[in-house]
Amino acid sequence: MKPFTPAIIAMLAALAAPARAEPEGLKLFEEKIRPALVKHCYACHSAQARDAKKLKGGLYLDSAAGVAAGGESGPVIVKGKSKESLLVKSLRHEGLEMPPSGKLPDDLIADFAKWIDMGAPDPRTGEAALASKQRSISVEDGRNWWAFRPLAVSKVPATDNPVDGYIRAAQQAKGIKPAPRAAKEKLLRRAYFDLIGLPPTPAQLESFLGDSSPGAFEKVINDLLSHSAHGERWARHWLDTARYAESGGYEFDGFRPGAYHYRDWVIKALNADMPYDEFIRLQLAGDLLKPESIDGAAATGFLVAGPFPGQITAKTVERIRYDQLDDMLMTIGGSMLGLTIGCVRCHEHKYDPIPHKDYYGLASALARTVQGTKNMDIDPEATARALETHKVQGEAPRTALEGFVSTQLPGRFSAWAKAELSKLPPAPRWQWLEPVAYEAERSFLKSTAGGVIAHDGNITPGAARRQRGRPAAAGAGEHFRLTFQTHQQNLTALRFDLFADKALPQRGPGLNADGSFQLAEITLQARPLDPASKAAPVKVKLKAAYAAAEDPNQPLANALDGKPATAWVVKATAKRDNAAILEFDSPLAGSAEGTVLELDLVFKDQGIGRLRVSATTEPGPATWAGDTAGQHDSELKALAPLASKPMPGQVGLSLARWFAPRDAETAKFVRAVRDHEAAAPRPNMAEVYTTAAGGQDVYFLRRGEVDNKQGKAEPGFVQALWRGAGAPVARQGVEPRVALAEWMTDMNSGAGPLLARVIVNRLWQHHFGRGIVATPNDFGAQGERPSHPELLEYLASELVKGGWRLKPIHRMIMLSETFRQSHEADPANLAVDPENKLFWHHRPRRLEAEAIRDALLAAGGNLDPAMYGPSVLDNSMRRSIYLRVKRSELLQVMTVFDAPEPTASIGERPVTTVPTQALVMMNSSLVRQQAEKLADRARPSPGEPVAMSVERAYRIALGRDPSPAESQRMTAFLAAQAVGSSDSGRKALVECCHTLLCLNEFVYVD
Amino acid sequence: MPNNFPSRLALPGRRRFLAEAGLGFGTLALSNLLGEEAAAAAAAPLAPKSPHYPGKVKSIIWLFMTGGPSQVDTWDYKPELQKRDGQPLAGADPKTGFFTTSGKCLASPFKWAQHGKSGTWVPEIFPYLSRHVDKMCFLHSMHLRQNNHAPASIELMCGTNRPGLPALGAWETYGLGALNSNLPAYVVMHDTRPRGDDQIWSAGFLPKTFQAMALDSRRKEAIDNLARGAAHSDPQQRAQLDLIRELNREHASTRQTQADLAARIDSYELAYRMQMAAPEALDLSRESAMTQAMYGLERPECATFARQCLLARRLVERGVRFVQIFAGKGVAGDGSVGDVPWDCHSDLQSNHRSCGLHTDQPAAALLADLESRGMLDSTLVIWGGEFGRTSDSQGAKGRDHNPNGFTIWMAGAGVKGGLHYGATDPFGYKAVEKKVHVNDLHATLLHMMGIDHLKLTHRFNGRDFRLTDVGGEVLSEVLA
Repeated sequence: MKPFTPAIIAMLAALAAPARAEPEGLKLFEEKIRPALVKHCYACHSAQARDAKKLKGGLYLDSAAGVAAGGESGPVIVKGKSKESLLVKSLRHEGLEMPPSGKLPDDLIADFAKWIDMGAPDPRTGEAALASKQRSISVEDGRNWWAFRPLAVSKVPATDNPVDGYIRAAQQAKGIKPAPRAAKEKLLRRAYFDLIGLPPTPAQLESFLGDSSPGAFEKVINDLLSHSAHGERWARHWLDTARYAESGGYEFDGFRPGAYHYRDWVIKALNADMPYDEFIRLQLAGDLLKPESIDGAAATGFLVAGPFPGQITAKTVERIRYDQLDDMLMTIGGSMLGLTIGCVRCHEHKYDPIPHKDYYGLASALARTVQGTKNMDIDPEATARALETHKVQGEAPRTALEGFVSTQLPGRFSAWAKAELSKLPPAPRWQWLEPVAYEAERSFLKSTAGGVIAHDGNITPGAARRQRGRPAAAGAGEHFRLTFQTHQQNLTALRFDLFADKALPQRGPGLNADGSFQLAEITLQARPLDPASKAAPVKVKLKAAYAAAEDPNQPLANALDGKPATAWVVKATAKRDNAAILEFDSPLAGSAEGTVLELDLVFKDQGIGRLRVSATTEPGPATWAGDTAGQHDSELKALAPLASKPMPGQVGLSLARWFAPRDAETAKFVRAVRDHEAAAPRPNMAEVYTTAAGGQDVYFLRRGEVDNKQGKAEPGFVQALWRGAGAPVARQGVEPRVALAEWMTDMNSGAGPLLARVIVNRLWQHHFGRGIVATPNDFGAQGERPSHPELLEYLASELVKGGWRLKPIHRMIMLSETFRQSHEADPANLAVDPENKLFWHHRPRRLEAEAIRDALLAAGGNLDPAMYGPSVLDNSMRRSIYLRVKRSELLQVMTVFDAPEPTASIGERPVTTVPTQALVMMNSSLVRQQAEKLADRARPSPGEPVAMSVERAYRIALGRDPSPAESQRMTAFLAAQAVGSSDSGRKALVECCHTLLCLNEFVYVD
Repeated sequence: MPNNFPSRLALPGRRRFLAEAGLGFGTLALSNLLGEEAAAAAAAPLAPKSPHYPGKVKSIIWLFMTGGPSQVDTWDYKPELQKRDGQPLAGADPKTGFFTTSGKCLASPFKWAQHGKSGTWVPEIFPYLSRHVDKMCFLHSMHLRQNNHAPASIELMCGTNRPGLPALGAWETYGLGALNSNLPAYVVMHDTRPRGDDQIWSAGFLPKTFQAMALDSRRKEAIDNLARGAAHSDPQQRAQLDLIRELNREHASTRQTQADLAARIDSYELAYRMQMAAPEALDLSRESAMTQAMYGLERPECATFARQCLLARRLVERGVRFVQIFAGKGVAGDGSVGDVPWDCHSDLQSNHRSCGLHTDQPAAALLADLESRGMLDSTLVIWGGEFGRTSDSQGAKGRDHNPNGFTIWMAGAGVKGGLHYGATDPFGYKAVEKKVHVNDLHATLLHMMGIDHLKLTHRFNGRDFRLTDVGGEVLSEVLA
């Protein structure tokens, strides 16, 4: 006989437990436990409660089976282990608080614990109600959901434009006839608003009306698609799905000055017709895929555009983090996949095949992603071009210097050396080191006389831009790298002088707003000057020898301990100069041919404002006292023996550098090179609000509660959207977010097909007022089914075939006869399909808030066409996409016309009609001003007949001529309004124009 | 299309069409294709709708005590705390508030006395309100999860702590419609904007029709664009509106599928009427000198709040559904912070005295005025802020935020006066008895207005949302 396996032993033990516990355990149950359950728990946890619709948490405590099954929060008891039992924890108010009416007496809770420790004997029969069982989601079935399948194109119709074939087939089945073509001026206005969100000008109208060639409309479409306003129009649609805003919401609604780069990036991407899969990849992982480029950083502004509290307490920090991850997931789900992923935080999806595991897998892929800012070059190409030019221009002085070094310098130096070298004073204790190069991560450094490195204030550091209540941007610490050269040997120590300066915050020495700095790490590396040398760079070991006004809790040694978390903190309190000495573990041998010293200073936030670095060759403990001077003379002494030999190039240049202060002719050549270097073009830096490294591991949460962690989650994706081998997880060695982007756009095994369906549906939706799937953000079971599934498949696969470019899809849709139909509604069709699901005519639609404002400005001839840049307020004449989006102060002119709350992904805006809109049109200064400007445009010279002005106003505002009846009525209105006024009818014409702007026709497109 | 109406109004399979028919006000060209009520709902989202069952409350006025008043210094008298001043507070959790607290009991510095038949204890800072305690139904066991102003205010008004969800007032007007189409149905009044701003009175994912109209007491023009332009005379504007109507009708006549065109035609007429109705409603000079004095309009320390309370009565009188007043600070230099006046971190005594002075008389006058006009039979007045305060001290004399137990009271239609519901522990630190979460409060308020909170839903991004999220129990004991 085989020995029992552990599992069988456990089973037997479990069977035996109740028997052993009886009768003592049962007695306890009957006397204490059962009455307590009946009194305190059955109201919400029993079959009776279920029948009364009061069942909570899917938990039944009215039968042994129910207790054993547990509820939505998982098992409630672990037999024999009261401490691990959720029931006891809840009674003790650890995590859950049960019963909700108030804590039970401690002795009764102890009885529950005892009962569970005894194995929880329970004589009650009855089954755990079925409702308590989690609905199991079959991922396998999920893969067969229509939207999750691979793209499948049925036979493509033989019509000129396949779109029409698909649409007509569905119409014919219902006996519906499509509407005739729209009149040309209506079609033009429709195309303009659809593609660029602006009305055609009278000249554009005239040109189109006069072009009777068959390709006239196609030409218009092509022109509009290549118009830069196209990106501005369609970016706004995408920004709705991306819940784009420029502030954090919540407590202080801190403004994010660098957030607009995301908006600009979207505009540029759409104008450039960036392949949509690339567009998506960059928004998910641009910072990792293109780390050096502002585009990559701007694109991931998508992930962190959501609201985030400005004040966080210890109690709320973790919940806020999970809320943030949830915000990212909901937005990714809604905007890219048309899925409601957010539901899965608390429970397995009730309708779609998305289990808990997928949600936390996705969350885990974002675990190391938090919000931050980066200073980046706004136009790296321009910078590269400028640098190239500068480099070319630098060749002349450099060649001159090199020529001087090889021909004249040796002679001039030896003549001088003979006479003067011996007269030089002995080396001072401390020599100022003059940097030969200086770089910084976040700002610009410059060197001033005496080798003092100064922040030149050209770039405002982040500190100065920080908003009220905003925490410091994560991962944005300053990093200085200073490079020195020396020909001296046996350096023994470095000294830092940190100067107070009126130009610095609180006089410095730090650049933080309070004048402090936090220097996390100092490292020094030495290597031979000769680039051909094979000697390896040496890391010089440093010791903290002295620091003035040192805080014992945050001493200089913190900067030498190799731990980036600790720092040498110097505050501004003294408003005096400060200093520190760093001894070398052993003297730096160096090389007579020259040594390069590379000093790295890594800060936790901003850097030091004015810094001077000195070195000494004195052996023994470096002391504070002693004279100081520049390093020139000591270098000359060290170089003198080399100067007589034929000098290697580097040594010759060094000699020129250090000899310059002693020789005017040398100085002339050296200065020419230096001046040129100092004039190097600087990149146009900008602060970009984007993703940053940070965050911590993600855990499974029961019911989404942070106090109820269940185990660490590993990066993974939606299993039902995976056709590859195994489970969809991030490959080894690939950043999880990059893997997420790959999976999202993977046509073969990943989410690619759904991604394509969702975006072509959005294009269709914005051209027709309703998507083929009428719920653009929900392609799941709760959403609507596609009205024309084959058309959707066709458009999606055309998109992918065409390299994911959107403009050809726009073109195909808009060149179809279906798009060109009139708005007229045939009553027979209306009876069959009142909702126009079969797209048998073109439904008039009201313009969105942005398009209304833009159209008003266009009518007044005031629209400022400037693109990009920081957002503006509504007194600006810029297009509305550039208006500020501050979460707590949304602009009324936008919200009144249904611009959405930017807190969650929005796939379609509601269209409401309220009197406050009419008040804007009737009384606002915006509309009145545009009416006045329109009047001036309509009548450039006062002597013109009124009828002509009316006609012009109609053309500008409505894109058509007035009918004779309209003309007549307008003229009569003008005459009546002009009675008694002496301004030759200008005000009356303003009233006429104001009337036109108030018309439904102005804000509706047929 | 995005506009769904309360499920009871939506006909199966017709939702899309209804929405497409627009959100207008006027007649619906195709109403014969639809049930009448559904058609009306589609045409006019703010038209009165029949509730699920008859409700006692027609309007709510919420006096929002911005910043979070201390329960143990206002309506939750704790003799035990008074006795143990300076002694350790058992179970004190230093993470409760926003800063760190001492863990030592801080007794209320005020004189307390019992008032009314209910014998309710009231501190000396409410000499006027103390006369009305028998109208008030106290919920002593309020609690929520957020411990900072904006998130807590969002939780208190929208049911969960995250922004983007509709506030109570938006849900209410969404469910019931307006009683007066010439005025907004949901009005918020503030002085300095409270922390959280628009997020507290947001329509969230509901159509913006249901967004509160915010009246800023500091502004001269209460409602944007309400005043006719200076260049316009009334007859001129009337003539212009007549022409607009005429041209719009012609335009609509060939676009019969678009009911929203008709709605937009009517909206101009409504706006024109609102131009006259709103200034009348907002004009306090129409009130008698006695009424003005009763509210305290002439007292600088409470004039702002007095104007707001009196305005609230005038608005409710004219059918506004939900008015919320965010109490601002009193006179300048009283040490309180404008956007969170009750936020007594450093000196509870002077802070609460000042806030009492600013709010007591006007709030009491509002109750008396509503009662004398018979309006208290259909109006519910609520007094409360976003959370309570710690029973232990912050510093020597202040109290920190405490969301674990606080008191609000309701008075008027629908509730039992003089009732004390639920309780905090003997120190007033945490709600322990009959705990009331925000969801429960909302369920109860909706119930009083005739709405079943489980049935008032809106589909957004694939989910049917409700104000009470996944919780909410009607507090039947408090119902009159």
